[in-house]
Amino acid sequence: MQPILSIEGISKSYGRIQALQNVSYEVPQGAVFGLLGPNGSGKTTMLSIILDILKADTGTFNWFGKPGSPESRKRIGSLLETPNFYHYLSAVDNLKITSAISGRGNDQSIDEVLKIVKLFERKNSRFSAYSLGMKQRLAIGAALLGNPDVLLFDEPTNGLDPVGIAEIRELIKELAKQGKTIIMASHLLDEVEKVCTHVAIMKRGKLLAAGPVNEVLANEDIVEMAAVNSQLLKTVMESFPGYSSLKENGDLVQLYFPIGKAPMEDINRYCFENGIVLNQLILKKKSLETKFFELTND
Amino acid sequence: MFSLIQIEWLKIKKYPAFWWMLGIVTLTYPGTNAMFYYGFIKSTSGKEVANNVAKMLLGNPFAFPETWHTVAFLSSNFIVIPSILVIMLVTNEYNYKTHRQNIIDGWSRSQFVTSKLFDVLIVSLVTTFMYALVAAAFGIYADADNLNRWAEQLQYIPLFLIQTFAQLSIAFLIGFLIKKAFIALGVFLFYDLILENILNGYLKWKTNDLGRFLPMEISDRIIPWPAFMNRFGKDMKDAYTKALAAIPEHIIYTVILTSAIWALCYYLHKRRDL
Repeated sequence: MQPILSIEGISKSYGRIQALQNVSYEVPQGAVFGLLGPNGSGKTTMLSIILDILKADTGTFNWFGKPGSPESRKRIGSLLETPNFYHYLSAVDNLKITSAISGRGNDQSIDEVLKIVKLFERKNSRFSAYSLGMKQRLAIGAALLGNPDVLLFDEPTNGLDPVGIAEIRELIKELAKQGKTIIMASHLLDEVEKVCTHVAIMKRGKLLAAGPVNEVLANEDIVEMAAVNSQLLKTVMESFPGYSSLKENGDLVQLYFPIGKAPMEDINRYCFENGIVLNQLILKKKSLETKFFELTND
Repeated sequence: MFSLIQIEWLKIKKYPAFWWMLGIVTLTYPGTNAMFYYGFIKSTSGKEVANNVAKMLLGNPFAFPETWHTVAFLSSNFIVIPSILVIMLVTNEYNYKTHRQNIIDGWSRSQFVTSKLFDVLIVSLVTTFMYALVAAAFGIYADADNLNRWAEQLQYIPLFLIQTFAQLSIAFLIGFLIKKAFIALGVFLFYDLILENILNGYLKWKTNDLGRFLPMEISDRIIPWPAFMNRFGKDMKDAYTKALAAIPEHIIYTVILTSAIWALCYYLHKRRDL
């Protein structure tokens, strides 16, 4: 199937600072694609280029199999960096402009998206009177206008309270369920881990890894165990076959196995046969955070 | 094209500064002209010999058809008022970052510049309409005997429009390049009200009137000073005749300069990072 977005060898510099270095990846149709990286890693620069806000020095990108154009942008609901609206206009008037430019939505769908992002009651208030969270929700509403098949969110939960964050996360899951392709930049790893199917990790303008979440992130399973005598447990487990590494974490012993290869029952039996009764035995996936730090640390 | 105008109208119609501008123009244009008008009435209505001489010399600059010219000249001095609005309309886009959002939502970069060109055109048309209204009102009020001559010198309406559009385009360019409202306003006001006047005076005196090629002066000369001023001696009369003769030439310069301004805006906006 043709990818929704394909990026080929994009580079961009600001004077002597290289913001992007030869970045290439693809976003498959129906993916929830998380773009990760520390501050200043080039996430927003990347998204700005594919929305024609910035000009790449070299490289190309295709939306829907064709070079990026105003027509392709009209098919994408986008929130880039900050909510950008006319301060003196109300939510409704601002969305009328979005609708008129993009050709997405009508008066009725403006009301609908305002209900989704919970601004309907305040729809006639001026944008300048909104709180930061409300502004952010309006920007998400503008992206949803006209129900586009592709959505692009740059830090969508910026400025939202915990309830708002959870709501947006649910919204994104719901949109993904409807088969929409979602491209999302974030530095909130937990958020990405919960909703993304694909991920790209960037650092200082370079792409470190990209692909399905399972491949990029969870390349090891961790078995965490504990017993009354943790020294004995460690000694016994050192001779257990098949693990890739063993670590101690306080009273816990951690065994690392290749993905899907952790034999939980065998471990339990092995310990018992060697005179150890476990009081804890857990299988953990490596968290995105751990992986992220591994990848982005020098 | 039409949808661009519709979208710009959505932006403008609820922008308070637009209505403020219209309100101020509505007060200033009739106000300034009335001041001159009553000055004229005062100097010509007495029974002294001097009053009669003044009347003979001046005619009635506010009667048809002279009103089209006189009011255009006096009103055009207030280009600063719509200029402020034009600068605000472009710097707002940078301030709110809507110049980015409009592109993200699906405009091309050229469409954005075209939409701003329409802004300047809309403001020019509104201003010209106000001028024409005021000129017509004075024509009707000042001298009923001349009503039948209302259709003479109507060319001052399109000339006023060209001049206004040209000068507002300069204001636009300054806002477009500087991006910050207050700095752009400062630069424009300083240039228009002070610097160009000094330069123009200096160049007129020193360099065979090279000042006529200064950006604002190029279009200023589309509408020369009113006709009654040619009645003060041969030198004035010669200068007036020369100024009238230079109008077509200055229309050409104005069209060239204004086209260059907009071509530059299109060129820059297409290539630069937003």
